[in-house]
Amino acid sequence: MRIRKFGLLLALVGVCLLLLTLQSRGYGARASDFVAVVTTPLQAGYARVTRGALAVWTTYLDWKNVRAENRRLRAEIQRLRVDALRVGETDEENRRLRHLLALQERLPLETLSGEVIAREWGGWVRALTVNRGRGDQVVRMTAVISPHGLVGRIVDVRPGSAIVQVLTDPASTVGAHVVRTRTPGIVEGEPRGTIRFKYLARDGAGIQIGDVLVTSGQGGLFPRGIPVGRVRAIDDRGSALFHYAVLEAAVDFGRVDEVLLVTGQPRQDLTAYFPNGG
Amino acid sequence: MRALLALTVFGGGVAHATLAPTLRVAGVTPDLPLIVVVLLALRRGPEFGCVAGFAAGLLQDAAGGGLLGVQALTKALVGFGIGAVGRRFTATHPLVQVPGLVVLTVVEALARFALLKLFHFPASLGELMAWVVLPQALYNGFLGAALVLALSWVESARARSA
Repeated sequence: MRIRKFGLLLALVGVCLLLLTLQSRGYGARASDFVAVVTTPLQAGYARVTRGALAVWTTYLDWKNVRAENRRLRAEIQRLRVDALRVGETDEENRRLRHLLALQERLPLETLSGEVIAREWGGWVRALTVNRGRGDQVVRMTAVISPHGLVGRIVDVRPGSAIVQVLTDPASTVGAHVVRTRTPGIVEGEPRGTIRFKYLARDGAGIQIGDVLVTSGQGGLFPRGIPVGRVRAIDDRGSALFHYAVLEAAVDFGRVDEVLLVTGQPRQDLTAYFPNGG
Repeated sequence: MRALLALTVFGGGVAHATLAPTLRVAGVTPDLPLIVVVLLALRRGPEFGCVAGFAAGLLQDAAGGGLLGVQALTKALVGFGIGAVGRRFTATHPLVQVPGLVVLTVVEALARFALLKLFHFPASLGELMAWVVLPQALYNGFLGAALVLALSWVESARARSA
């Protein structure tokens, strides 16, 4: 066993020395040729495996990098989307505020701007909460408007906020008239969230779909001439005393975010200050 | 047995060609075939170590285009020597493995240098030691120890699962 062990060592050492001797005596080429017979196929396989292993490794690294980059880019896309939304939102808010400011500047009455901070949209009550209250000298029954038209009136004033009853509230009634025919009537809120115009049948024969309605100013609560809505359909009740017109509100109450609280007491008609008629 | 030897040596060679450049630190690459030969010799004894060293060294000689037989001889001797005396040491402890591999690398390098000097190798031993052998020896020591630890962890995990 021991002899075999050392025999193997001696044999291998002998092979090595033979190879070295051959090379030192100028038979290097032959020695190399001899070894090449054995090693060349190995080297070829070795190179193939090396290349394969390298390719696998490189592919793995690429995949890993691509994955990391993909993750980073996804995060960046998310961030940019949020940024874009924020920019869009800011842009939209800016546009609304400009609109509101323009209205505030051109109206011949004192107003106070307010921001909608809550909405009550249950059906029994339709109201908005604005961030103006007793501290801002807001009082009950203050008219609330937006650049598109009438929003409603303040029905409750709290220290830092006020509740606005919007036109679609079932308890809301506003005196209004049709601009074209001057037909007077009352705009009422309905439980389903729409508004209708109630008028005397004898006065409303000429009302047409698309007619614009504005506040009448009677009662002194709302300034005269603020757009309320447009006639969308006429509910002719034959010989009944009152007829109704279904209205499309001038203001999208679900989307209104900034409003003006009319604090002054206007005397003149404001129709001209709402050029689109709501 | 022979297939395992061939696979291991071949694997060591492949690993040397593929992994060593990747594992380069400050221009120093480990001698993976030497580490493989030492690990084999420790586990399988001197005969296995000798043949593995010869084959791995010959592959390295052939791949490097230098004198055939130099590394085959030195690695065969290292494989045989470590296989013969390695079992007398507790080679499973890193405090033995790291300096052991460092010393083996230096011994193999000295033997290689001595052989090459017979063929008028031009470089001086001091420079070679400072720039090539000692950094590589240190690297071999730590890498070999890490490999041994990894192998023993795999083996214990397999034993636990069995």
